[in-house]
Amino acid sequence: MASLIACPHCGPRPKEEFTVRGDAGINRPAPDAGKDAWYAYVYLRDNPRGRHKEHWHHTSGCRRWLVVERDTMTHAVYSAVDAAVTGETV
Amino acid sequence: MADFSLLHRAALAGAKSGSFGPTQADGGITLEALPEGHVLQVLASPDAGDLAASIASVSDGSVYAVRAVGPGQWFVVGDAGLSASEFAKTQAALSGRASIADQTHGRIRIGISGAGGEAVLAKGTAVDMHPDQFPVGRSTMTLIGHITAMITRTAADRFEILVLRGFAESLWDELIEMGLEFGVDARTAP
Ligand SMILES: [Zn+2]
Repeated sequence: MASLIACPHCGPRPKEEFTVRGDAGINRPAPDAGKDAWYAYVYLRDNPRGRHKEHWHHTSGCRRWLVVERDTMTHAVYSAVDAAVTGETV
Repeated sequence: MADFSLLHRAALAGAKSGSFGPTQADGGITLEALPEGHVLQVLASPDAGDLAASIASVSDGSVYAVRAVGPGQWFVVGDAGLSASEFAKTQAALSGRASIADQTHGRIRIGISGAGGEAVLAKGTAVDMHPDQFPVGRSTMTLIGHITAMITRTAADRFEILVLRGFAESLWDELIEMGLEFGVDARTAP
């Protein structure tokens, strides 16, 4: 497992301090985007093998949302940046 | 204004106290329930800029009164209680730039001192407690076992822990247990 996440605010911390929200690449559709777009947004997820960007919340630390890029196969962590810095909406 | 006055009960008044483990020549570990004076949570507005100096001005001026939690978030702690008008004054001082929530009722400070303090905390948290990595004056929010708490180093061999009131006694018991090898003097009365 990706045991240590290098929080940009707190330094390296064990995964137990975090809550994973999932895929960081999904954008909320417009309110009138239609049933299919909303169904996909709410329910459909890829199950990628390899590099993947996810939202992680540093629940037991600074309580900031981060975008963590990790490898789903090797669990190597490539980066962890504050979600506000990357312009993500959380 | 409250219709009746609330009765303040210290969170750790009924917790274990006394000596635990072997008596050590160096005095071992001392745990102290610190005064439940005030704990203020400060949250900066998104466009507030650098608030460091302003936040120090609403503290009681003691050295480690202001403790950074994360970007734009601080705790301000002190031994003396704040009256409603004093609290209103702190809110006014940062008005428009930060909001202040009174957390005095919600968070408890525990002091842990002695040469083994660093080793005791290292049993519970993954934060590197070595002075090079966690020098005097540093604060951080982390897990101690399964309990979220803030650790502040106030001297080479002295720390303060800020923990949610409802978890304070559990953490207190765990600190006694983790400190057993060093000998623990647990003092619940501030
Ligand atoms: Zn963090």
